[in-house]
Amino acid sequence: MKLSISGVGKNFGAVRALDRVDLDIAPGEFVTLIGPSGCGKSTLFNMLAGLLEPDAGGSILLDGKAGALLGRTAFMPQRDLLLPWRNVLDNALLPCEIEGLPRASSRARAEKMAVDFGLRGFEKHYPQQLSGGMRQRVALMRTFMFERDLMLLDEPFGALDALTRSMMQRWLLDIWERYRRTILFITHDIDEAIFLADRVVVMSTRPGRIKLDRPIELPRPRDAHLLTAPEFTAIKRELLDAVEEESLKSFSA
Amino acid sequence: MLRAALPILLLFALWEAAVIGLAIDPFYLPSIRVVAAAMQAQAPFYLDAYLVTLSEAALGFAMGGLVGVGSALLFTRLPVVKDMVLPIFIVSQTVPVIAFGAIVVLWFGNTLMAKAAIAFYLTFFPVTINTLAGIAAVDPRQVALLRSFGARQGAIMRKLLLPSALPRIFTALRLSASLALAGAIVGEWFGATRGVGAMLLAAMFNEQIVSLWASILVAAAVGGTLFAAVALAERAMVFWREEL
Repeated sequence: MKLSISGVGKNFGAVRALDRVDLDIAPGEFVTLIGPSGCGKSTLFNMLAGLLEPDAGGSILLDGKAGALLGRTAFMPQRDLLLPWRNVLDNALLPCEIEGLPRASSRARAEKMAVDFGLRGFEKHYPQQLSGGMRQRVALMRTFMFERDLMLLDEPFGALDALTRSMMQRWLLDIWERYRRTILFITHDIDEAIFLADRVVVMSTRPGRIKLDRPIELPRPRDAHLLTAPEFTAIKRELLDAVEEESLKSFSA
Repeated sequence: MLRAALPILLLFALWEAAVIGLAIDPFYLPSIRVVAAAMQAQAPFYLDAYLVTLSEAALGFAMGGLVGVGSALLFTRLPVVKDMVLPIFIVSQTVPVIAFGAIVVLWFGNTLMAKAAIAFYLTFFPVTINTLAGIAAVDPRQVALLRSFGARQGAIMRKLLLPSALPRIFTALRLSASLALAGAIVGEWFGATRGVGAMLLAAMFNEQIVSLWASILVAAAVGGTLFAAVALAERAMVFWREEL
């Protein structure tokens, strides 16, 4: 699904959270979004998920069409937000139930998908019995079960330890290559942003704008060695400069 | 089961030891053996009182629980109704139930419904308030997530708000179980001839101390039954709570 965002802004009372954002994402593309905290990344996401209306003048088009966005993109918030009274499979099936899809076929699909998500044998476990990494995989699987071409992932690995996080990144790339969805991914972590993306978009400090849009032409499939390769470090330096500049601004503001 | 029975047996033993050891006048505290013997001698009579009061309290409790949860869901769905009706609920609770007793019996006659109505009156309000509190405590991000899946009000209510509020609902139901019993007993004081409340009054007026204590034990049995039923339902429905 092609996403075109043009001139999208948002005011909260007197605070200008987001200034005219323009961004195009091609079908099947993996785009990561970084920026200082409070730059309006989550505001942008909430608008893409249809939970928040952009201010007049901005437009968000999916495949060239405007219209209600609620239920049209698969949104994964920062916290896993799993329901403690549902087991792994039933948590992943939640969006299908809400959509009113036939139960048996959704269930069969979920059981197959659980294997790809490393949840085999845990289908009947409850969230509170799982590790942080596993909970995050369940939340991600729930997002994949909600079959939309555009996925919005808001710092999905933010709460994980470094080791689990790098495993989850490689695993996500694997899943992405298999299912080929368009992904817009928020992160605070520059390594993560470069490692995953076809393009890294850097946002400015509030009011948020697109400061830099950097294509990442590193070959795929990518592995952990990439993180120490010279071409990776070069990109990282370039992005760090941009991010630092913005972070300093938000401190002095 | 054993864990619940042991403290009760211990209490009975203490009771008996105190009566014998301190040579307490049976007028103030009769021996548990005497009370038990009296209950055994008139078992059908006490069993009848147990069943009558239990059905009154249980009916009132069930109505209170349903109306309590139902009204809270309605209030959540339609805040206008909440603004109009909740103040009436609150005012209703400031009037002691005993003031209504005679009216209720006048309306319903000396029926099961009259006692259940009084038990209901005491039970619905804590359930309404706790259900509302449980719903208010739901993480708004959780609601946003369901909305992003395209969920409407009804689905959000069924799949998120109601289950999230269950722990608080059960807290209120446990409280309401003993209130329902109090309501049923008070209801029986307005001219009933059967039930624990009627027995208590008769024993009191006739100074039948053994019978008075026996009635208290039957009342405790009714309360215990209701409480156990709520606890069992809670364990089945809120199995995920202790792990939170």
